[in-house]
Amino acid sequence: MAITILPPVVEDARPYEPDSDDSMSMDSEEDVEMTGISRPHKRPRLGNSNIGAGIVTPGEVVTDDPQWMRGHGTYTNPLSTSIIATVAGTVQKTNKLLSVHPLRARYTPEIGDLVVGRIVEVQSRRWKVDVAAPLLAQLPLSAINLPGGILRRRTSADELQIRTFFSEGDLVVAEVQSVHQDGSASLHTRSLKYGKLRNGVFLAVTGTGGSAASSSSVKGGVGAGNSASGSALAAPGGSGTGGVVRSRRQVWTVPTANGGGEVNIILGVNGYIFISKNPEGADAASSATENVSITRMEEMVSSSIYSSQNDDIPPQTRREIARLTQCIRVLVQNGVRVDEETVMGAYNASLQVDLEIGDDEDEEDEWRQEGREYLEGAKAQDILELVKQQL
Amino acid sequence: MSSQRQASSASQVPHLSPAELSYLYTSLSLPKNPIRPDGRSPTQFRPLSAETTILPGTNGSARIGFADGTQAIVGVKAEVEKTVLAADTLDSRSLAQHGDALNREGEEGSAAVSGQGEWVQMSIEIPGFRDDDALPVFLSEMMRESLVGSVAGGDVDGAKEMAGGLKGRLVINKRWHWRLYIDVLLLSQPLAYPLPLLSLTTHLALLSTKLPKLKSTGEEDPFFDDDWAAAEYLYPRSNTSDPSLSAAPSYPVRPPVTLLVIAVGENVIFDPNREEIAVADAVLAISVTRSSDSETLKLLSIRSIDPPSRLTQPGIPNSENVNMIGATAAPGEESGGQEEVEGVWRPRRGGVKRGVIARMVKTVLGKGGVGEEVLEGLEGVEVQ
Repeated sequence: MAITILPPVVEDARPYEPDSDDSMSMDSEEDVEMTGISRPHKRPRLGNSNIGAGIVTPGEVVTDDPQWMRGHGTYTNPLSTSIIATVAGTVQKTNKLLSVHPLRARYTPEIGDLVVGRIVEVQSRRWKVDVAAPLLAQLPLSAINLPGGILRRRTSADELQIRTFFSEGDLVVAEVQSVHQDGSASLHTRSLKYGKLRNGVFLAVTGTGGSAASSSSVKGGVGAGNSASGSALAAPGGSGTGGVVRSRRQVWTVPTANGGGEVNIILGVNGYIFISKNPEGADAASSATENVSITRMEEMVSSSIYSSQNDDIPPQTRREIARLTQCIRVLVQNGVRVDEETVMGAYNASLQVDLEIGDDEDEEDEWRQEGREYLEGAKAQDILELVKQQL
Repeated sequence: MSSQRQASSASQVPHLSPAELSYLYTSLSLPKNPIRPDGRSPTQFRPLSAETTILPGTNGSARIGFADGTQAIVGVKAEVEKTVLAADTLDSRSLAQHGDALNREGEEGSAAVSGQGEWVQMSIEIPGFRDDDALPVFLSEMMRESLVGSVAGGDVDGAKEMAGGLKGRLVINKRWHWRLYIDVLLLSQPLAYPLPLLSLTTHLALLSTKLPKLKSTGEEDPFFDDDWAAAEYLYPRSNTSDPSLSAAPSYPVRPPVTLLVIAVGENVIFDPNREEIAVADAVLAISVTRSSDSETLKLLSIRSIDPPSRLTQPGIPNSENVNMIGATAAPGEESGGQEEVEGVWRPRRGGVKRGVIARMVKTVLGKGGVGEEVLEGLEGVEVQ
């Protein structure tokens, strides 16, 4: 039980399969396939229907037919008409515009996005925040709420104690206020919904970026493929392009089962996710925030917005938070998009799977039950099946 | 400086906020029943996929991929080399025995029979690290020492060749020996401390390693059978003659496995991921192997690894936070920040109790313990 070793699963890097008779005529100079194992061979280019099949890699000539215009992810040499891919991805055609859609890319900030970020640097009047974008975002001192919601100019005293608000490593939830010319973002936390994060766990998955087209094709092997890692360049889930997508609600509260109480989920558009215990009394506050005016903000801002002390979190809540974390991981590893609908679907599915297994294995000895909270192994397929039924 | 510090520490620790660290630590140190962020039980490993003999140009090779995307490839290459003997050992040996069939199986205690540790060379490549950085050097030495030190006494059927452990197996005759190059390549960024992954992969690679069959006898210059199919495994198998008995071959002697174990509070946790290492009180690398004469596992080495949690930033309790309205009332009485406050992260300093260390070792070595299960699991991997 301690260790599960699976046989290797062939990554479904779908080798290019030429349309039978068409390619025969085009690749006539190629030698005959001997082994039947398709090796990377030259693809037929040119503007036939084959453009768009398979995956192109950077530097690969997509086409040299002059009828196509180059779009994102491509490059043309001024001396030739051929269009060359600059990213690894799939070819997309829009009328006569040819673009390459990357398999994975970093998050591109847009105004109004809700993001979760981690402070990596403290400067004199601003913080630098990692939001999984190519450049660090900045959070100016003037764009945060002062404790107690006092509205005033930031003084040099505030600048001196800048680390008492946020210091290196802290997690913030913020909104993109503006995007600069170079693609870097400016954030703000001037809302009661935003600020420092605590009482929970953080996880990084693929965000909205190059992988917006969320096909929900599912990979064969469980746990054999790449998956969401802790890194900012989170996983390309193989064939699928799972990850957080922009949706109507990025933040919601889950009433969890097994006595876990209420749990907040924040899905940052950039793929950073925070799952935390819903603080008591937050319901009253959040219902009141709907109609609080900016002039009354000091009354509403809780004094604990810059606290780094966790509340008392019971084990049941921790267990359910872990379950939600795993549900999101399972979705991402299998290339399913992550939003409120799928996360809740996966959560309910995981509860259902546990219920069924609990019925089956009542008499199992104890050590077999030990790993039952682990969802990413054999249970992942069951959960996915149930989620896909609901979609 | 900071990169050096990270390299020597247990992993490339991400910046974690004090609130996260506190949450993780409290979850993992819950008495009896820690809650890991990925729901695993304390002794559960992440599922991994393994295959062997993937590189045609090597004597043995293996690949292991963890579910989180980290992958390692190990290739083992063997070379014949002339043994350089110190003059005194040459003299002390009685040359009269020269004519006898003196090969590696005979004459325990003869200088030529016991090999030398330098005959095993290990190099580790980790992306983002130079090969003289602390992490690869430390890792390779840690794995090599347990490999070289794994002397398996006893001569159960077929294990006679392994009399001197791996070192003894490398001896061809008095003048010639094998030199083993073990090249470890981590294919992905090290998301967690890569030691368990590299160790398991090396284990599998060594199991699949074959050496050409020796045709010459005694003190002749070595001469080998051309037929690769006749090659012998570096780690001999016992019941190859009777394949019907069991599908997986059993090995009287096995290469060692190094497991990474952390202690959080009173709990002992295996195969930690990066976040879990970040809050560990103690990180131990425990090398075990199965000895042929007894059923139990043998402890080869324990290394403690600098736990990165001591370098983390402490959390500020609400009572000392200047941004908390209530706290500013009493600036006069300083609490000093020494005592533990529930829900506030304190960097772990000062090590762990001896009882915890003992339990860590016991969990690995015990009958039906994790060490046995890992070795059994690896045995199940088809080596061919």
